[in-house]
Amino acid sequence: MSIAVLGVNHRTAPLEVRERFAHALHEVPGALARVLEAGAAGGVLLSTCNRTEFYLAEPQEAVPEAVWTLLGERLSGRGDRGERSAQPYGYAERDRDAVRHLYRVSAGLDSMVLGESQIQGQVRDAWETSRPQAGPVLHRLFQSALLVGARVRTETKLGTGTASVPSAAVAVASKIFGELAGRSALILGAGDMAELAASCLVAEGARVTLVANRTYERARAIAEQLGARALTLDEAWSHFADTDIALCSTAAPHAVVTWERVAPAIAGRGGRPLCILDLAVPRDVEPAVGQLENVFLYDVDDLQAVAGQAAAQRRGEIPAAEHIVNEEVERFWAWYGGLAVVPALKEFRERLDAVRAVEVDRALRRFKHLPPEDREQLDQFSKALLNKFLHEPTVALKAAADRGRGYALLEALKELFGLERGDGP
Amino acid sequence: MLVYLHLAALGLYGLSAALALAPFAGFPVASRRWTLWVAGVGAGIHTVGVAQLSLVGTGPALSVLAWCLVLLQIGSELLLRAAAVALFTAPLAGGLVGLALLLGLAPGAQPSAGRNMWFILHVTLSVLGLALLALAFISAALYLLQFRELKAKRFGQVFQLFPPLERLDRLNHVALVAGFPALTVGVLLAVGYAVRYAGGMHVDPAQLVWGSFTWGVLGWTVWVRVARHWAGRRAAFASIVGFAAVVLVYVALKLAQPGTERFL
Repeated sequence: MSIAVLGVNHRTAPLEVRERFAHALHEVPGALARVLEAGAAGGVLLSTCNRTEFYLAEPQEAVPEAVWTLLGERLSGRGDRGERSAQPYGYAERDRDAVRHLYRVSAGLDSMVLGESQIQGQVRDAWETSRPQAGPVLHRLFQSALLVGARVRTETKLGTGTASVPSAAVAVASKIFGELAGRSALILGAGDMAELAASCLVAEGARVTLVANRTYERARAIAEQLGARALTLDEAWSHFADTDIALCSTAAPHAVVTWERVAPAIAGRGGRPLCILDLAVPRDVEPAVGQLENVFLYDVDDLQAVAGQAAAQRRGEIPAAEHIVNEEVERFWAWYGGLAVVPALKEFRERLDAVRAVEVDRALRRFKHLPPEDREQLDQFSKALLNKFLHEPTVALKAAADRGRGYALLEALKELFGLERGDGP
Repeated sequence: MLVYLHLAALGLYGLSAALALAPFAGFPVASRRWTLWVAGVGAGIHTVGVAQLSLVGTGPALSVLAWCLVLLQIGSELLLRAAAVALFTAPLAGGLVGLALLLGLAPGAQPSAGRNMWFILHVTLSVLGLALLALAFISAALYLLQFRELKAKRFGQVFQLFPPLERLDRLNHVALVAGFPALTVGVLLAVGYAVRYAGGMHVDPAQLVWGSFTWGVLGWTVWVRVARHWAGRRAAFASIVGFAAVVLVYVALKLAQPGTERFL
């Protein structure tokens, strides 16, 4: 019995590699089926933008190869089996280390943004999607991983503060407006970061009312997603008079939001604050705009400074979080060891009983003169003797399992008596 | 007993001030429940002390002002989560209680029993109006500090611990709008008290000048906020200038007419 994890993450592979490994939800059952065919009792595939990991119960020797081949195909392109190997980007952990790995992932300890909570939902989704193929051990493992993640977030401050640029943007806007519910936001440009920050603002109750872009079609596509009105950039400047938050993320090589373009509109705001979040590199907003009365201008560096402060605070919580993870790993391993004891003991008993039966049969063949009652007595005697011999080890193994040390003894038992190898009489 | 109650309140206000200031000295932020509990217990003990005051003289008036400030601090925290108000109110209340103890808590004659209710209401509402003007000043000061940090892109303790700008602006608005009617009724009660019990408007000129001036200043700040729609930084400056003027005029009048038997 064993548990393993094989995969790649943001520490081992760059984005352009990771994005090739990412599996859409509908691809998960097929990928898992291929890996399980190589010999495993259950599997869960966790695939996010930062990681693709196969969690496997009782994997056979051929399984790692199957995983790297499957990922290698995605790296090389469809129908191009194994030309490029995925293994150099990957890692593998077994048993306790595999359990610890999942618990750290679920707690946000292994995330790119330390302590981020999105991963917990992704672990849950992976478990839900893979449930038919997970098997009881991984079912229990993922259930406990979610509890560990929740416990770490409740008992430590690992999840507090704003540790990413989009969440820092929300924090800064919140320091100006308090509640963001009902605040209007204007998006300038169609960058991914602006879209992400906009979704964070919307999650806080802000309304994206306008989306402006150099090309009207692209603006309309995003505006439709957000229930906003699309504009061209030239139409946007006058709306600086009434919006509360402006999110800028165009791909322009120079500043597009200049003093001349927006100062007249801002002058008509009547002292209401305007928060401009410039997420573009190079910057979209001329620094002079930030000098206007009641305008609060922040660029990516400013927001990274806010996020960096939170990250520093979160780093201080790592020892407490790791302590919880280690505690829960031991708890799971105690359960897992106990789970393994029952079938192993059964096999152990059956193996010795088979030896006993063979030896009794051999003896009875030599004592053909014995009447049936005596033959029966001899058989009973051998059974009683076997039970006496097995009593102490059985009790000791069950007690060790209760104390969470069953797995080690079990391994010794398997090694000594050749269990699971098919050795024997 | 009166002194002990004030000493206990002083100790708890000091603790409340220490809890508010601790994060700026590198200590962890105290939990909201703990800060509210300390201020609440202090205010509770102080309430018992205030109930025993004669309300005549500078010491008792300062004690009531401190009591009102702490109650407003608790209200600000509970209603607007403006915990940073305690940065100003807690040391100020502690200082006022300390000063009241130094000046004496029962320095003057007792008002006669028949006049008590007029007098208690006059003092309580007038001091409440003044405390609300002080709260407007505090929220304005916090606003300007937070505004400066946000403009300068400094994301330190002020950014993290002070309330958002809009919330501070709302607190300033609410304090002024609530303070004006309280002070108006307090002043009207003083006029009624003088007419009914003093046989006409024979009021000390200093009291008349300061009372009218304070009422005028509070009225002006409310007018610019409500009628002229001043908000944000401009309204904050108006509150600070108004409160500073009220304090300066009081100090000037008190220096001209020293003594602790009367508030003025």
